[in-house]
Amino acid sequence: MTVDMDIDVVGKACPLPLITVAKAVRTMQKGQVLRIIGNDPLFEVTILDFCREGGHEVRETSRDGKKVSIVFKV
Amino acid sequence: MNKKATILLHSGDMDKALAAFIFANGYAALGVEVKMWFMIWGHNCLKKRKRLFSFPRKPDPAREGMYRVLETDNILQPMIEMLNRGGANHLPLSRLNLMGLGPLLFGKMLKKKNIPSLEELIKSADELGVKFIMCQICFDALGLSVDDLIVPHVEVQGVSSYAKDTMEAQVNLFI
Repeated sequence: MTVDMDIDVVGKACPLPLITVAKAVRTMQKGQVLRIIGNDPLFEVTILDFCREGGHEVRETSRDGKKVSIVFKV
Repeated sequence: MNKKATILLHSGDMDKALAAFIFANGYAALGVEVKMWFMIWGHNCLKKRKRLFSFPRKPDPAREGMYRVLETDNILQPMIEMLNRGGANHLPLSRLNLMGLGPLLFGKMLKKKNIPSLEELIKSADELGVKFIMCQICFDALGLSVDDLIVPHVEVQGVSSYAKDTMEAQVNLFI
């Protein structure tokens, strides 16, 4: 899958992942794909909530130890 | 219809201001239109920190006359300015302040845990489009100016606008 933007928020605590993803999505166009990686305990819930609220389609969620990677369509 | 939220910050404590700005950022990130109101000590987190004995600023009638009554100012305005200097990085804690040691330790704790500081949260709230609104009578009584704040766009409004905004919004917080 081609990804238009990659964001790494590993080590960042709530609410930084949410702020970062919201700012990134504003710079992107509809239909582009964004991948975000984080390891905050609330990271997955936060990004999935963001996608549900904004109507973004989640394409893929994968976990590597504590790191979670989520790919969604803007 | 666009969702709306208002947050009124009344407290000048660092922990309460931190909570208010975390909520503001959260709502704004989810696409909610957020208006933050500042009353009494709430404005302290937006104040530029000045030196203790800085020369009292002379109010500019052309700019400040728009939202203040300069004729009724007296010695109390510069005095309270000296005693209540504010600044996002200089707020006390509501508990365990320990005469200024508490906020220092708290700040270290936040940094170690990678939690953003109050100043960073204020900047990002501004970038996410949160609107900042100051209470007009607090501004007048405490002798404040919009030029003394760290955020560039601030509106000065009264209680009728607050009542209107809160009735329109789905979420109203008073902190």
